[in-house]
Amino acid sequence: MNLIQVLIESFRSMAANRLRTALTMLGIVIGIASVVLLLALGDSMQRFIGKQLQSLGTNMVYVMPGGDRTAAQRAREGKVAVLTLDDAEALNALPSLTGAAPALQGSFKVSAGNENLSSTVIGVTPAMFTIRNWKVDQGTLFGEADVRASARLIVIGQKVADQFFYRADPLGRYLRIENVSFQVIGVLAGEGRQSDGTELSEQILVPITAASAYLVKSPFPQNVHYINAQGKPNVAMGDAIQDIKEVIRDRHRIRVDDPDDFRVQNLNTIAETANKITTGVALLLGLIGAISLLVGGIGIMNIMLVSVTERTREIGIRMAIGARPNHILLQFLAEAVVICLAGGLVGIAIAASGALAITKFADFEVYLTMSGVIVACGFATVVGVFFGFYPARRASRLLPVDCLRYE
Amino acid sequence: MSGPLIVIRGVTKTYLSGSVETPVLHGVDMRVERGDFVSIMGQSGSGKSTLMNILGCLDQATGGTYLLDGADTRTLGRAALADIRNRTIGFVFQSFNLIKRMTVAENVALPLIYAGVGRAKAQARALTELERVGLGALGKRTPSQLSGGQQQRVAIARALVTDPPLLLADEPTGNLDTHTSDDIMNSFQTLNRERGITIVLVTHEADVAAYSRRLVRLKDGLVLYDGPAQEGLRQLAGALPAIAAGVAP
Repeated sequence: MNLIQVLIESFRSMAANRLRTALTMLGIVIGIASVVLLLALGDSMQRFIGKQLQSLGTNMVYVMPGGDRTAAQRAREGKVAVLTLDDAEALNALPSLTGAAPALQGSFKVSAGNENLSSTVIGVTPAMFTIRNWKVDQGTLFGEADVRASARLIVIGQKVADQFFYRADPLGRYLRIENVSFQVIGVLAGEGRQSDGTELSEQILVPITAASAYLVKSPFPQNVHYINAQGKPNVAMGDAIQDIKEVIRDRHRIRVDDPDDFRVQNLNTIAETANKITTGVALLLGLIGAISLLVGGIGIMNIMLVSVTERTREIGIRMAIGARPNHILLQFLAEAVVICLAGGLVGIAIAASGALAITKFADFEVYLTMSGVIVACGFATVVGVFFGFYPARRASRLLPVDCLRYE
Repeated sequence: MSGPLIVIRGVTKTYLSGSVETPVLHGVDMRVERGDFVSIMGQSGSGKSTLMNILGCLDQATGGTYLLDGADTRTLGRAALADIRNRTIGFVFQSFNLIKRMTVAENVALPLIYAGVGRAKAQARALTELERVGLGALGKRTPSQLSGGQQQRVAIARALVTDPPLLLADEPTGNLDTHTSDDIMNSFQTLNRERGITIVLVTHEADVAAYSRRLVRLKDGLVLYDGPAQEGLRQLAGALPAIAAGVAP
């Protein structure tokens, strides 16, 4: 009695009761379809959020002046909380960080020719380009020497370039910020939302020293608005943040009992929350799928029991002509597994079309993963074996004489 | 292979339903030599079907010994008994017991499939066996498309496809008309004579028993007569009017 024979018999008996087989399969179809689709959804959602967060920079940290206390409180205590270029320099040397980049930011009048608008201009150092992974499409980025020289150079986003130099090559041209001319040396590649909420293609970047000297015109040229730092990929964000805090507290000579005069903000906490939510949602959806599989499995068991009773006489005949108990067991087990696997395949097909439909209509890419399909087939088989075993064993344990007497 | 095919000694069978014991066989002794043709007769309740089930290894005796082809069947497990039913015994039932979903040829091939013979080879041998019973052309039909006599011939082909030394038939003509019954019994006789197959059949019809060489009559779970069929049937024919006379008011 080989496998092919067993399968032929299974298909034959399924075909003999088409409606019943279809209805029995339905539970498994729904179960597998939901499990596969939900696995795919969970996976795609995680990937989507992961990508979103990656573009924001999950290992990005913002160090900002001022702790939990208000400026007024600090003023009363006679302390002014600031961050300086030297703070940034010190952080940049931390081994747990890829880099730390200071920034000065403000809204200024930007103009070229007849175009004139108020925009955010950020003064940065080359370290910012590194940690934010900003690259140029055309031209170059400014370097350390330019920063030291407070060079009036400017790197702009694509949209800014389009706005001011529509169709013309912006490189070498000038943008006036607060009536100071800055020469365009590079156009940033790409577009998209940044971790600080700004749009990459709308960036206007100048050397931080030039921003200080010509735009902010601060009496304290060392002060910066914030420091952007990036943790190394293999370092836990918590550890990196701890290092940052220690360095700044040390530099600011804050006593052990006193609170920080700065804040460290991290996107990783958001990422973790998002991850927890997606995992939770995926688990919940998976649970629903598992429940429908369970119900489907019980349906299979029920029908197999009915089938065993219905075919008692046939079992007797088979035993009389030489079927061993194992032959009978295998036959009924195979039938349950075939029903489940067939149901599983239909379920996968339904899940695939569901994924296609979602991708098409919901503007959210969902595709079945190979692992999901394999897991589903495995599930279907396990359900078949698990719920088919009891009826099959019952059939195999019947006595031939009782079966033959059964009407 | 020598010695008797069937030896039963002191076989008893008691059915249990709940706590009620119903003894059916009270100690039956019987030997069947190879090549014999035995009819078992008896009124309903005499235990002839029970004896048949035990002989066919479909049921186990409560007590006594049963040696089939030299093997002590009471010591064998279910798989081993299945193998015996597959290779040593061929069954023919009153209600044919063909599997309706399968074609005639598949029905006949099934014992070979269980014996582990490949599909193609099993089908070929099934067709040969069907030709022997004169139904070679009907292999692709389903049992319901055949007449009763034809179905019983298919059952005979199925019983013989594994070349068993023993054919057990339980009221094989019970569902057939007289003419077809004669046909079936003639083929039994031919099988017995030409292929040397040992046949044991249960019947309540004297005409059917007349085809056999030997008769065993059971009454209330005991052997009442065991001897030549002709003699036994004559006794039975003589007894019947006496019984009728005794019962009549």
